[in-house]
Order: sequence, then structure tokens, then C-alpha cells
Amino acid sequence: MLFSTEPYKITGKEKLTPDTYLFRLEKTVKNRKDSKKISYEPGQFYQVSVAGFGEAPISVCSYSDEFLEFNVRAVGDVTNEIVKLEPRDTLWLRGPYGTHYPMKEMIGKSLVIVGGGTGVAPLRGVIKYIEKHRADYDRVHLFIGFRSPEAIIFKKDIDLWNRIFDLHFTVDKADSGYKGKVGLVTQVCEESGLDCNNKAAIVCGPPAMIKFTVIVLEKMGFSHSQIYVSHERRMKCGVGMCGHCMISGIYVCKDGPVFRYDQIEKLHE
Amino acid sequence: MGKVLEKKRLNEFLRKVSKGRELIAPVKRNTLRFELITDLNDICLEGRPLFPIKKFFSPAKQDLFKLNAADKKKPSDELKIKIKPRVIFGGRLCDFNGLLRLDKLFNSKEYQDDYYKAARENTLLLGINCIPAPSKFCFCESMGLERYYDLFFHDMGDKYYVEAGSPKGEALIMNLEDYDFVMPEIKTDKKLDRKDIAQFYDNPAWDKENDKCLSCGKCTAHCTTCLCFDVFDEMETDIKRGKRFKEWDSCQFLNFTLVAGGGVFRKERLPRFKHRIYHKLQYFREKFGFDMCTGCGRCIEACPRLIDFTDVINKFR
Repeated sequence: MLFSTEPYKITGKEKLTPDTYLFRLEKTVKNRKDSKKISYEPGQFYQVSVAGFGEAPISVCSYSDEFLEFNVRAVGDVTNEIVKLEPRDTLWLRGPYGTHYPMKEMIGKSLVIVGGGTGVAPLRGVIKYIEKHRADYDRVHLFIGFRSPEAIIFKKDIDLWNRIFDLHFTVDKADSGYKGKVGLVTQVCEESGLDCNNKAAIVCGPPAMIKFTVIVLEKMGFSHSQIYVSHERRMKCGVGMCGHCMISGIYVCKDGPVFRYDQIEKLHE
Repeated sequence: MGKVLEKKRLNEFLRKVSKGRELIAPVKRNTLRFELITDLNDICLEGRPLFPIKKFFSPAKQDLFKLNAADKKKPSDELKIKIKPRVIFGGRLCDFNGLLRLDKLFNSKEYQDDYYKAARENTLLLGINCIPAPSKFCFCESMGLERYYDLFFHDMGDKYYVEAGSPKGEALIMNLEDYDFVMPEIKTDKKLDRKDIAQFYDNPAWDKENDKCLSCGKCTAHCTTCLCFDVFDEMETDIKRGKRFKEWDSCQFLNFTLVAGGGVFRKERLPRFKHRIYHKLQYFREKFGFDMCTGCGRCIEACPRLIDFTDVINKFR
């Protein structure tokens, strides 16, 4: 059955901002004891749906044998419906689809991870992976930015990351009362003075943020083959059939969403 | 060697071939189009139908499965795909070559569209040679089409020369009389000057042709190989039962690349226009080794402004 999808039980729901929630799901199909646990890699996505409202491609933001988590911001038809669901309700999934961050290839390197806004969600999966495989990597530099203090997600995680990684945290704009750093994440990244030696960079965020982060990384000496980005596109099938996510012949759903930057630098939108 | 069939025996032949099968052939309505045939006299072989045969393999709106939100055990349920064995008569080489392209997307090793697969397996392809070229928009001579069909008819005045392209086709004409003849190749007045168009991506000639575009999507709707689709849910009034279905979409529409939050990646018509042409003539070729265009010229003929991408490409030097 083409695009058949299975129900999964929601076991947790946490409000992260007024319009963003973290959903935790069981890894086995609801009401089916014999179902095998699904497995995914950081950077992959699922087609998540609510019956009657359609599907939306959403990146996994966890890394666990026991559960999977999605960060859902209510901005579209489907996500506005998902956020109404509560624990014990059902979400439908098919996947996982797409490429993932090549965590194994990056073993032994220092990592520079740059995330903006909702783009921090897929990176959370990467960072959770690193937490589990900490000894495989050298230093881990996190650059995380949100548009305002109200838009900050994963506060608890960020507190933890501040203790165990080199965290640079910023918001684009804030009232004078805000005590933390204010400025664009690209700026903070540029000011860090890091070099590119034995490093790999992982970037996820809005298109403009990705574009300028790559420019900053170039200034720091990074070659495009050291940079991995995750692209967002409209995706209806997830398997390279429906045509929506295609850029210059590349299917973001199948050949991506995670790309090594030198493979996509010359694409025409 | 092929066979020969007298024209006056064509209907008798078609009756025999379509026994236990549905017969699909071109019919003259307001425009020439492929339809299910109930009366053999409706069949019209004059001209190339403006609508391609793709809808018989992937309907404009195709149900995927049933939704039953209230059923805890089986919230989604398979829809039985029923495709009667059928025969398409009067298709052109461009039509059948279009199917070879669509096979790459809808019947690949990795993923199969069940409806498309069943339709392909259950359809006999009986084509007719295009001598002379049936439309001034045809340019298939430039597109290196394969001789792909079960049976291929060539009009010889009072009779058809018939050639089989598959064992299934051979079985259909076993009892006809042998005939020695070499089928002529299709010649078209219009040509596409084949060249590597990658280097011309930023050429201003695209802008000029694109200026005429109305973003109506007729080019993709009429295209032999365009089958981009969207996926929707539709529920009954009890909002418990319903279905998920896919529906044709067009890369020429503004919201084709719309993502949640309002972002559109191809906001201007120009990148959408170029995306269509480059997908057809470059991206698809890089992946599968042949063009996603069969030279049927329908996109040009159907266009309200007669936008002609072959004109643009032919002028590149």
C-alpha cells in the first residue's frame, strides 16, 4: 500500500513556547505487540499525520532506544492539529526518510554545530547522539540562536549542554531586561575565533541563516566538504516521487535532507 | 517481418482484441482525447490527441487508502485496486515512450505506486505510426524515441502494416497474413536542437519567453510525463471515516514549493519555468540516461500563449 502509515502512541507532551510542543512517542506501533521498534538516525524525518488533516514532514529531535521525539511548532494545517493532541492519543507515522548526519564519518573530529530557531530541533538529535558517544569526538562547539527569548526551545537541554559542551547561546532581539547574549548566531560564530582544523560543521536553520552561516564558516577556513546542512522543503511523498522538494534534480527527501555542502553549492533553486 | 490487416477488418480485429478487455482510443469531442470506447465508430485516428494517456495509469485524483479514525485496530485500510485488463489503441510513440519515463518514478525497484503498476501490467499498447506527423507542434524526431509497443500500426491506404513489439503483441496477430515492409521513421518539421543546456541556465532568452507565462499549469497537465502530485485527506461529515488520496500538481504553480510558515522557494515564474524545462532535459537525463520529454509538443499546443521552449533552446549558440 503506497504511503501506508502506522499509529504510534503519544507518551509525553511538553510545552516549549506558546506555539511549540515536544511530543514523545512509543517506538512500536500502537495496539500491536509484535511490532518491531523503529530505528532512526539523527537528521532523518518522518511523515507525521493526523487522520483527516494530512501529513507533514518532521525531523526527529531525539536519539533513544526507547522513544522518539518530535518538536512541533503550530504553523501549518497539520501541525496546528498535532498540537491539540494529548498523551495517550495517536500520531501516525511513516518513515524514517532521507539521509542523516554522518556521525560515524566525523569520529575523531571537533564539531561546530550551528542551529537557528526551529532548526535546532534536528540538531538536538545530533547532540543527543554525541552525549551517548562522547568519547568518539574531540571538542564540541555549539552555536544556538533564537529570534527572541520567547522563542527559545529545549531550555533544559541547553542548560545541560552549557555544562558539558562549549555553548554559545544568543537571541536576535530582546528587551533591555534580558540578561543573556543578544546578536545573530552567525555573528557569535564569527567572533568565536575558532579555526577549521580537524573540524566538521553541522548547520540547520532557516534558509537565510544557513546561507550566512556558510559564509562565516568559509571565513573561518572551512571548505564546503567540511560543512553539513539540512534543508527544508515541501515534501508530499518522502520517496522521490511527488516532485515537490526537487532542487536542480536533487530530491531533498531522498538525496537529503542532510547534504554535504559541496554537493549542493551549485544548485539552481 | 510484420503482418497486414485490411482496413475494413480493423473493427473486427479490435472487437477480438478487446474481448474481456476495456478498449481505450482517441475520440473526437471538442478536442481529440483518449476515452473508453463503447462504439468502435467513435474512434478517430486523425491527429495527435491533446490529452496524453497518463490518466489511465495515474488518474488526476487517485485514492490511496481508507481512513477510519475510530477503529483502534485498523485505522487505515487498504483500498482494493481494480483494474480491468484493457487495450489502448491509437496511442503514439510519444505516448508509450512517456510510460517508459514514468516507470522510473512509479514502478522503480524501491517504490511502486500500486495503481500505476497494476495499470501497466494490465494494459496492451497498440500504437499507430505518425506518417505524416499529426501536429505541427510535434518534434519527436529529435527525441530519440524507442520503438516501444505491443503492436504498431502503419497506415498504407486501404490496409495497415502491423508490427509486434512484444510476445503479447505477436500472439494477437498470429493469424494475420505475413507482409514484407520496412516501417518508415517519423519525420517532424519542428525540431529540438539537442545541446547541453546547463551552460545556458542564466541566458536572458528564458526571461523573454517566460514573460508570456500565466502560471496556469496547462503545460504540465497536458505533458506526457508530468506526474507531480500532492497528497490530501478527505473526511466524511462524521470526521471519522474518510480517505487519503493523491492529486496531480504542477511545478508551475506558486504554492508548489510552499512550506509551513509561508515560505515559497520558487516565488518567481522564471525559476519555475526553467525548473520544468531543466527537469525534462537535464536533471532526469542525469539520473536515468534519457530525457523526460518525448517531443509530443502538447505543452506548446496547450499553452494559451503558445510558449515554446524549443524556440529558446534552438537559438542558443
